[in-house]
Amino acid sequence: MSFIIAGSINEALAALAAGARPIAGGTDLVVGARQGKAHLPPSLVAIDRLDELDHIESGEHGIRIGAMVTHSRLMTEPTIVSGYSALADAAALVGSPSTRNIGTLGGNIMNASPAMDTGAPLMVLGAVVQLRSTAGSRAVELSDLWTGPGQTSATADELCVAIEIPSCPARSGSAYVRLEYRRAMEIAVVGAAASVTLADDGTIVDGAVALTAVAPTIIEVDNAGTSMTGLLPDAAAPVIASAASDVARPISDLRGSESYRRHTVGVMAARAVDAAARRAAGEEIGVPVNRAIGVGASL
Amino acid sequence: MPLLTESKRFIRPDGPDKVTGSGRYVADITLTGMLTAKFLYAGISHARITRLDVSAARQVPGVFAVLTQEDVPDRRFGSVADRTLFAKDVVRFEGEVVAAVAAIDADAAQKALDAVVVEYEPLPVVTDLEAAIADGSPLVHEGWADYGPTSVERDGNVASFTSMARGDVEKGLAEADHVISSRYVADASHAAPIEPRGVLAQWEGDRVTIWSSTQVPFLARDGVCETLDLPTNRVRIIVPHMGGGFGGKCGFHYEAHIAALARAARRPVRLVFSRHEEFIAPDRRREGMIIEITTGLKNDGTLIARRARVLLDCGAYSADSSFFPHMAAMHTLGPYKIDNIGVEVSSVYTNHQPSGSVRAPTAPQACWALESHTDELAAAVDIDPVVFRQQNCVDTGETGVAGQVYDEIGLQECIREAAAGIDYGQDLEDDEAIGVAVGWWPSFPGASGAYVKIDSDGKGVITTGAQECGTGSVMTLPILAAAELGMEPEDFELVYQDTSAAPYDEGATGSQTILNNGRAIVEAAQQIAVQLKNLAAEKLEASPADIILVDGKAHVAGSPEPAVPIARLARTAAGGEMLLGKGSGTPPEYPSAVGVSCVGDSGLSGWAGPQFSCHAVKIRLDRETGVVRILGVSTAHDSGVIINPIGASGQVEGGVMMGIGQALTEGTVYSEDGAQENPAFLDYKLQTIADAPPISIHFAEIHTPGMGPHGSKPIAEAPNVATAAAISNAIAKLIGRPVPHLPMTAPRVWGTMQRRGEA
Repeated sequence: MSFIIAGSINEALAALAAGARPIAGGTDLVVGARQGKAHLPPSLVAIDRLDELDHIESGEHGIRIGAMVTHSRLMTEPTIVSGYSALADAAALVGSPSTRNIGTLGGNIMNASPAMDTGAPLMVLGAVVQLRSTAGSRAVELSDLWTGPGQTSATADELCVAIEIPSCPARSGSAYVRLEYRRAMEIAVVGAAASVTLADDGTIVDGAVALTAVAPTIIEVDNAGTSMTGLLPDAAAPVIASAASDVARPISDLRGSESYRRHTVGVMAARAVDAAARRAAGEEIGVPVNRAIGVGASL
Repeated sequence: MPLLTESKRFIRPDGPDKVTGSGRYVADITLTGMLTAKFLYAGISHARITRLDVSAARQVPGVFAVLTQEDVPDRRFGSVADRTLFAKDVVRFEGEVVAAVAAIDADAAQKALDAVVVEYEPLPVVTDLEAAIADGSPLVHEGWADYGPTSVERDGNVASFTSMARGDVEKGLAEADHVISSRYVADASHAAPIEPRGVLAQWEGDRVTIWSSTQVPFLARDGVCETLDLPTNRVRIIVPHMGGGFGGKCGFHYEAHIAALARAARRPVRLVFSRHEEFIAPDRRREGMIIEITTGLKNDGTLIARRARVLLDCGAYSADSSFFPHMAAMHTLGPYKIDNIGVEVSSVYTNHQPSGSVRAPTAPQACWALESHTDELAAAVDIDPVVFRQQNCVDTGETGVAGQVYDEIGLQECIREAAAGIDYGQDLEDDEAIGVAVGWWPSFPGASGAYVKIDSDGKGVITTGAQECGTGSVMTLPILAAAELGMEPEDFELVYQDTSAAPYDEGATGSQTILNNGRAIVEAAQQIAVQLKNLAAEKLEASPADIILVDGKAHVAGSPEPAVPIARLARTAAGGEMLLGKGSGTPPEYPSAVGVSCVGDSGLSGWAGPQFSCHAVKIRLDRETGVVRILGVSTAHDSGVIINPIGASGQVEGGVMMGIGQALTEGTVYSEDGAQENPAFLDYKLQTIADAPPISIHFAEIHTPGMGPHGSKPIAEAPNVATAAAISNAIAKLIGRPVPHLPMTAPRVWGTMQRRGEA
């Protein structure tokens, strides 16, 4: 077993090229190994000391979030809470306080669980993942990144270094809601993220909806934007609920049956649209929405 | 006067160790040359072992011992002696131990397990309770009749059976204005202590010391002696700090396996369970149940008759569960006035993990069923559920279901106060409701011993056989000694959890520590009080009968001066007749039950020191998803006089949280072939602190003579009885009928609503 602590990105990339796997917070890798899901890789490169991966830079055109940024930071960073609220909602729901303090956005994305919380928000916000290897850099759309449960299109020598999200038009809002059976240490039964842009008359101009834990990867509800266009949020929510239930391809497992998931993902999608539209209209809804407006009967 | 007022906060002696992390648990103890133990589990629910060859495993480098049933005495243990240490010929559940290894490290131990050759011929798997008692069902124990004599009623797959009858149930049902029948199914669940169990054994000559995270060190010692043919004075069990038990660590678990390994290896051997093992292997799982209840009542709400049939999932072995049918029968009847009863309860062998005592065994599930049924009864005659219970529950001087006439009890106060504590009857939102349920639980008088001494500086040591499983009951014992001697609890050090140092105690089981060991402590301290009074009487030239001990001093009653410090008397005593007390009083008797005929009697029809409770729970239901959120819980308990209010409140809060888990999220899912599908915390969902609602606590402090010290009754299990039932009744108010399956998970709540929609 070899364990390298990378002092620079180039060192990390060289180690990856030589066959090492990256470790940051270790909240998936270590827990998975202890559960017997998969052995720890024989060669690891620690990237947790690479400060350059820990930056958040925001500007006119959007925001760039380093792969090492933790969930705790995402849920409290003012720019993200106000401008990319769905991502903050999701980060605030991940695991426990200790998981959020050590688990990273890059890790959550590259672990590629269909139940990951940050995935659907990033998708509706139009995020792009920056991958780098010794051979160079490339940007990948999320819909091209996730190929199956735990699988991505990134090659073994590529490191996720950042996530870039374009800025949103005026009168936009986003939200992520999740069905949960308890209020901490929970994994999404189903979840949904929505982003919505409103016209001055309160009707929807554009938007997007993505779903958690109802398919082998996070999936987007096709043409959600056009189907909501011209509708008031109250009218759009049931349309999206039904579209979400239709597009879902859930499995039955210990957390919920296929039919229960198909039904509840529609409920979550409608609530996400509602919360996103209220935020777009200027209403303050705290992070996460699950706690703020009582989704899943939470207070 | 309360022994401990709110103003005088009592810091439990083990608190700082646990809070600061300096406390040592079994997994923290390392001995020179210590080996690692691992078990080979069956991994199949029912099969005949056709080949078992450990010769290759013994050759693995670093392996010091590999044992199977062939290497230990041929003994059966358990409440009906149906189990051997290792599988003998047949495996009956997935977590049955087939072989054990001791090796230099975990890797070598695993290699040895991998090298064990074992072949199975699969046998039909018994999982369904009703199929298991049908004629022609495959038997879990084909040859149980040859296991030896047993006092319990057994037949086919029925491991133990109890029926209770009083009055004429058929006539009663015929005379009723309404007859309501209900059927409920409860899934199995787990104690889930945070510390997975550990056992460490070391031999010195022919004596073995075993460090074990057991709730019952003396029973564990007896198990080792019985299965390995050893006298009790060659086996010493020591329990370091314990990370919770909740009943799951009652009984004798693996101490003999590790002692046998250590003897064979000639080295200390330590076993520490993984969470997965903690789920699948121990014979202490809360039993699944099918509960069918039929009750007849009059238009005015009077209960006339009750008939019930209950099936318990015993699992593969009977562990300590042979009294469960009798207990379940009492909980299916409840603390009500009903003159005509007929109840039959069977504990049924299956190829599941064995059931055993988990906090208030059988009660939460049976109470959930009975109290859900009771709300259906109240609805049938259009009486408010609280009023219905006030009308039908037993009160002081009244006769209960088994013919027991109750001395002063506080159940009616509990109903009134639990309802008041949550403002029952308030206007609620459309998605909110308050459910109410009553519960009860017996006390278990038994033998228990302790020593108390005061050394030359006036400081005391309590040496007790009692076991601290985290509840704080042992930590409360110094309060009792101090009260007898006019000293402070902090004046006493505790020596505990060592079977060679202290007299017998049954352990942290049946909520019995303060009830039984408390009496022993009081008795021992009283002997020292007599000695001190005699010494003081000499110094003060007074009669011993006039001396009182208070504030660390002795003086004549009514005249605080002159006074002699107890420390001075202790110094005098240290040079002569030392201050030593021993206690082991005669246990209180069980009261009689009148007019009840009982087959398979475990002596539980008449309850000594019955504890009563009422819980009222306010919930909010997300109607679109079935998710239930607990907004508040109001509890009221009659557990007699409360000795340690902080500790007692902690038990109520913990019991309620465990009850919420049982109600909503905690249930074991079994595959058709008998394997647990969620033996991990990811999908066996305990409640978290973030889920904890405000919990209000009322104690109906009725002085109960002849039970625990100072008029007390136990408290540890009672708060775990009624919470799930109250939640069920709140849900039923919102969706129009009870969810008939425990836990009442969100999908099940939603499913119940859907079926109602279709009907």
